[in-house]
Amino acid sequence: MKKIFVDYEKCVACKACETACAMENHPSHSLFGLLGDKKTQVNVRVLAVEHEAFPVSCRHCEPAWCMDACPSGAISRDSETGAVILNPDMCKACAMCAMVCPFDAISFKETHRARYGRDVAYKCDLCNDRVKNNELPACVAACHSGALSFREHDQLRRDQAVKNLRVYLLGEEKLPKNFELYRELRRKEFAQRSGEK
Amino acid sequence: MKIVTIGTGMAAAEFVDVLRKEGSQDEIVMLGNEPFPPYSPCVIPFFLAGEPLTTVYWKGESFYRNKGVTALLDSAVAEVDAKRHRVRLSNGRTENYDRLFFATGARSWYPQPQWLETNGVFGFKTLTDMLAIDDYIREHATRRVVVFGGGFIGVDAALALWHRGLEVILVHRNTRLLSQMTDEDGGVFATRKLREITGIDVRLKTTVTDIDIRDGALRGVKMSNGDSVETTMLIVAIGVSPNSEPLVGNDRGVVVDETLRYDPHIYVAGDVAVTPHALTGEPAIYATYPNAMLQARTAVRHLLHGDATYNGSINTNVLKKHIDFPIISAGTFEGDPVTWQNQHLFRRVYLQNGKINGYQLIGDTRVSGYIYNLYCAQVRVDKIIAPILADNRGDSYYRSLMGFNQGQLG
Repeated sequence: MKKIFVDYEKCVACKACETACAMENHPSHSLFGLLGDKKTQVNVRVLAVEHEAFPVSCRHCEPAWCMDACPSGAISRDSETGAVILNPDMCKACAMCAMVCPFDAISFKETHRARYGRDVAYKCDLCNDRVKNNELPACVAACHSGALSFREHDQLRRDQAVKNLRVYLLGEEKLPKNFELYRELRRKEFAQRSGEK
Repeated sequence: MKIVTIGTGMAAAEFVDVLRKEGSQDEIVMLGNEPFPPYSPCVIPFFLAGEPLTTVYWKGESFYRNKGVTALLDSAVAEVDAKRHRVRLSNGRTENYDRLFFATGARSWYPQPQWLETNGVFGFKTLTDMLAIDDYIREHATRRVVVFGGGFIGVDAALALWHRGLEVILVHRNTRLLSQMTDEDGGVFATRKLREITGIDVRLKTTVTDIDIRDGALRGVKMSNGDSVETTMLIVAIGVSPNSEPLVGNDRGVVVDETLRYDPHIYVAGDVAVTPHALTGEPAIYATYPNAMLQARTAVRHLLHGDATYNGSINTNVLKKHIDFPIISAGTFEGDPVTWQNQHLFRRVYLQNGKINGYQLIGDTRVSGYIYNLYCAQVRVDKIIAPILADNRGDSYYRSLMGFNQGQLG
């Protein structure tokens, strides 16, 4: 199956993925609709770890521990896309899924899909409807820097191996120069901030 | 081959579901002592809180038809004759089997079974209980309920009825609610927060000793501390016992081998099965859904392919119902405690030889999955656990992944 992959060295923490995800999941599908709306649902979050930053979300694991832990029949796998899908109509927000998810990819709140006036679990659904329409997931489509891609894992690994070989044998640059410079800047800024504490 | 399940609960439903998914065309008979499609006991309290009944049928309302199963419902099982491969029902009917899946679950335990003869006294375990409670509240416009028992089921009951708008008095004999899921500090913290969030009247170190009956209906309860409370509804949820009598003649559960079998033709799973703990080997009944599910799938693999072993159960559980205040616990609370807490959260891990032996995470789920994995993997965490417990951004897994954690995973 195709999954969303993160090349964290290319992430510039612009959060375009978060915004696009929120818009995709909002009934208005518009940026203005999100503003001030507590029910806004964002399934991806850009996490800063020291000088690095990268988006984290559901990995649609196989086997999916959340799916095996769900006692209400709310989590299932789409047979076509392989996406792990959460049905908010069946979800009782009991947190069995969140209790076992290693990636903290499942959160709780009253979203626009919650039907019973209480919180439900929500997570990335791989933009399942978009993917079935041969579109990219919203976050991937919105990523300006090429940090996010939507691909088959095997293909990604093969390409990565070829690229590493080219870097090693032919001396090709691993990252574009501007990314290298930006990463150096971030490292220095972080070191400076840490020193100030 | 004819396969019979005793029980239509979560283990039995998963067992049948996976059998069919694996391509089994065998004749399947499911015996149940209630008249419903398979339902989720975790979900049924939400029906009382006002959510649709259809959502309790976690595998669909047409499960029996969809799976091509003969369902004999409303029939209790009296006895399993393992020699003759025959099940005798309490209505006299018998059912033969080639393979039996024994998943009878557990039932409420009542200190005074005669209380149940009084209109207004209920258990809180089955969908039958929920429907009866729902009817009763509607008919009597019930405003106040006393819940006797502050374990998982008792707190679940209290929260569901609180959510419905009833005034709830929760009576528990221990010093804190959820005393099996928590240690003293964690339990006291959880009890205080539950009180603050819901306003439920929690009476600790107290039991219900007697009930006040007028014209066959409940009018009030008397408690061990001398208090009396007027109420027309009492829920008794002080414990459960496994329904193992039809197979072994006592209610101590059924001990199974590593293939989950009691004898070559009988598989046992769910809240009636005594299985070893996956990490400690300690045999016990580990009554949570993920264990039941894994047992059912293991039994299917063994039945169809003759080769499968059950690696043991994990005793981890979470209570997060009707309010956004999860209480998570796993393992045993022995060893060196490492604690982090603030006004809203309480997190404690017990370490033994540097490895996680048990934990409580109260107030949020942020680090729970990572800690669950560190617990299951039994890696040394003594040098890294303190910052993980203090993690409020959910970045500790990624920190260790990228090598930013001080100390090393052992």
